Amino acid sequence: MIELEAITKTFTNGPEKVDVLKNIHLTIEEGEFIAIMGPSGSGKSTLMNIIGFLDRPSSGRYFLNGKEMKNMTDQELARIRNRTIGFVFQQFHLLPRLTALKNVELPLIYAGVKKRERLERAKEALEKVGLAERIDYLPNKLSGGQKQRVAIARAIVNHPQIILADEPTGALDSKTSAQIMELFTKLNREEGTTIVVVTHERGVAAYADRIVYVKDGKITQDGSESTPGGGIK
Amino acid sequence: MSILENIKIALSSIMVHKMRSFLTMLGIIIGISSVIFIVALGQGGTEQLKSLFVGPGNTISLTYLPSEEEIQKNPELLWSPFTEEDIRAIESIPEVLQVVASNEYFGTLRYREKQEDVYIAGINQAYIEVNELNVASGRNLLSSDFLGARRTAVINAASAEEFFGDKNPLGEIIYLDSQPFEVVGVLEKPEGLFAAFDTFTVYIPWETLRAITGDRNISTITIQAKNTEDLQTAGEKAARLLNQIHGTDEAYQVLNMEQIAEGLGQITGIMTMIIGSIAGISLLVGGIGVMNIMLVSVTERTREIGIRMALGATRGQILLQFLIESITLTLIGGIIGIILGMIGATIVSAFIGFSLTVSLPVILIGVGFSMLIGIVFGILPANKASNLDPIESLRYE
Repeated sequence: MIELEAITKTFTNGPEKVDVLKNIHLTIEEGEFIAIMGPSGSGKSTLMNIIGFLDRPSSGRYFLNGKEMKNMTDQELARIRNRTIGFVFQQFHLLPRLTALKNVELPLIYAGVKKRERLERAKEALEKVGLAERIDYLPNKLSGGQKQRVAIARAIVNHPQIILADEPTGALDSKTSAQIMELFTKLNREEGTTIVVVTHERGVAAYADRIVYVKDGKITQDGSESTPGGGIK
Repeated sequence: MSILENIKIALSSIMVHKMRSFLTMLGIIIGISSVIFIVALGQGGTEQLKSLFVGPGNTISLTYLPSEEEIQKNPELLWSPFTEEDIRAIESIPEVLQVVASNEYFGTLRYREKQEDVYIAGINQAYIEVNELNVASGRNLLSSDFLGARRTAVINAASAEEFFGDKNPLGEIIYLDSQPFEVVGVLEKPEGLFAAFDTFTVYIPWETLRAITGDRNISTITIQAKNTEDLQTAGEKAARLLNQIHGTDEAYQVLNMEQIAEGLGQITGIMTMIIGSIAGISLLVGGIGVMNIMLVSVTERTREIGIRMALGATRGQILLQFLIESITLTLIGGIIGIILGMIGATIVSAFIGFSLTVSLPVILIGVGFSMLIGIVFGILPANKASNLDPIESLRYE
């Protein structure tokens, strides 16, 4: 489903050129639960941004469902972010002035879904993450774990093929982290949603079926067999 | 994403910063309200000026403006420019509906011990209708008063107050230049600009005046046309006819409506320039304020923009969101401005006595213009928002 071929990303900082990603080859199949691990500054977030159509690579080819990104307009990228990909961020990134329900509705608004259907689907998504009781709460009235569950509800409301989670447990305690990771596992097992989690925590990566290690912009290890220090659940 | 959704977002973000939004709108409010007020003043003033030049009830006045030579040639015309025969001649012009004639002069009115100078108007019957003389009490002058040259008089409200006070003037005998008349009616109090200048006036039948004084003079003639569009033609025909009858060249004239229109046009032109500069300056300043605050808003909401982009908002949708926000801001300011302008116009109307017209087109222009400001000064911030990099925006603290 996702095919990255010789992806590089170079940032220019004045006269200095920094290669953040160097010749990345990565294939992710539908229904996989994959963790991308690496130290900070390894380029894993940039990799995720490219996978998530938030950024374009400097060179190389990226195919999603057989279609190459290079030929897509900004508008088509926005459409893919809206329909095909659901994002979950470390800082939750909920809009503070909107209730949980309204936050979850947002992707549906951009998808042009009618109001009544929007409401139903947003409620349904919040039920799935166990927050049916909190739909009218503003984000500042919710705990960190609850906020992240709202964010997950928002990510799944448009029934995306892929969920991209960037350090989804980075701001949570270990108990809540486990709950969130179990939620991802459930979505992966029950709905068949492809999950890509970027993390630097081994315990979090351990929930995935496959772990890809990134260091200095290169994939150093990829596989479900050898996972040093971690393990497959 | 629908326009309505955008307007909701815009309203909620305007409401979050109530004070800031209000201060931003203030420039627009002042600009639009002064435009509305001045346009209302201009239109009301123009109407008022027109009504001064053009007589009431679709009429036009004939004037006798002889040159020096003509005065020497026909000195008697100076004292009595119009005759009864003139009226009959003018009445035979097909476009003419009726001719209003009067002989007006200052005389003395005496009632018991009280005596004052008053304006005495010997009028014909058409005068009553055309000048809308309405009695508040008693009756108006009737055909029988005119035909019978009866000694009946209608006095205006100011005279009634001056001479009779609380007493009922109806049926009382007054002396106009020592001639007795019976008061049969009192006119309504006038309203508006000239209410304060309501001089003591007594209306009597022209025929009575002629019978008593032997004065056959007619001092003013006003023509009412059958159709509005024939008014100018009727007036010109009448003037030509009178010049013919009296053997004068151009002594009889009719007010030229085109010249008046041109004169009014110049006044309106000056008004428009004043309005234009006031509006221009305050709206420019207001618009810059809007742009400034929208730029602040875009910066403050960088993260929100990033989130929206990650959730699938296109650049066009972000642009539209911020553009609608600035339009909403200026539109609310514009509407408040229109309302304030109208309130101002209404208050001032009450003081100066003529109505300031706030017409629908003016309101629509006000609405349209405030939206235009929103677009013009909102496009730069909105464009900035839509061109933000989603990743940078998401990281923005």
